[in-house]
Amino acid sequence: MEALMSSYELNRFLFDLKMNPAALKGAVADLEGAMSPYGLGDEEKKALREGDPRRLRQLGAHGMLALYILRLHSEFQSNIYWQQK
Amino acid sequence: MALVAAVAASHAPNILLEPGEEWEEFMRLHYRMAPGAASSKPSLEAQQKLRREAEKAFGVLRSHLEAAKPDVLIVVANDQFVNFFFNNIPTFFITLADEVEGQFTRHRFHYRNHKELGRAILEAGLKKGIDFAFGERVELQHTQVVPLHFLLPEPKIPILPVYVNTWVDPLPTPERCYVVGKLIREVADGEKERIAILATGGLSHFPGSPRIGEIDAEFDHQLLEILREGKGRTLADYSLEQLQQAGDSEFLNWMVVLGAVGDAKAQATYYMPDQVATGWGFAHWTL
Repeated sequence: MEALMSSYELNRFLFDLKMNPAALKGAVADLEGAMSPYGLGDEEKKALREGDPRRLRQLGAHGMLALYILRLHSEFQSNIYWQQK
Repeated sequence: MALVAAVAASHAPNILLEPGEEWEEFMRLHYRMAPGAASSKPSLEAQQKLRREAEKAFGVLRSHLEAAKPDVLIVVANDQFVNFFFNNIPTFFITLADEVEGQFTRHRFHYRNHKELGRAILEAGLKKGIDFAFGERVELQHTQVVPLHFLLPEPKIPILPVYVNTWVDPLPTPERCYVVGKLIREVADGEKERIAILATGGLSHFPGSPRIGEIDAEFDHQLLEILREGKGRTLADYSLEQLQQAGDSEFLNWMVVLGAVGDAKAQATYYMPDQVATGWGFAHWTL
């Protein structure tokens, strides 16, 4: 239960990248500003900056939400993956 | 009338992606999570063959469904962080919306929702100790629309999305899902309309887990054999861990349909592992 609760904010940030277009737009423009309202730890912020989904999963992100950090990655921003849920 | 048809089908997104460019683009993202899977990625010809075989299986299921002339299609699937998040995860959920819609790449979907049937199942459950969550607004996602694209491309009849939590621990047991299916059958058999049911998902795959890219085809073949033998009831005795170990958590959706069909034998099953993520499985039952 501890692990689940402690990664809630990290999962919430990733869920918002998936489901909330304004949150995505904000994060693309200013990741630091977008992260600040969430209760994220230093390790979580570092992993989000680095954009490594597998590291995010290790920190407690659900694997299928961790993927959404790649929406901020220039190589994947227009990927067809985001055109479905 | 009664339950008149039952089908089950995978909902893997790559079933509906065009072989070639679309598939490759989508999979580039997948390979970031599962670098190992990239080494076994199918050639364009293999992708096209998979698509043809899936279309053929869907064609059989669709003919079977249409021959049964259903008035409504119950769609048992799992949410994957579209409607539900960690703030509120229902184990079983009934949709009471007027309409439901969703999108998959260029494909758009819009159906009437049979909320009266939803309400009947909800109330029957409350009387029998199965307390479904319910709500009036959901967004359809690939877990529903990939099979619906092939099985109900025109919204000629309403659907009823029913959600099972196969996604966020703790999950319901196979037995509990089977009992939910039995309840749906009881309700369906008491209704005037002709009711069909579709389970989606599976078969073996490990989405988002460190084992992503593995497929336990042997276990999947065993499951499908049990369905053909009409012994779905025995799967209710499987532990959740047995399913999870094989990457078959979404088979919990199929367990609901097994509860609904009881001891009926699956008339036919089809299976094609996609080499990179998922064992695509299909089945239909004559009732």
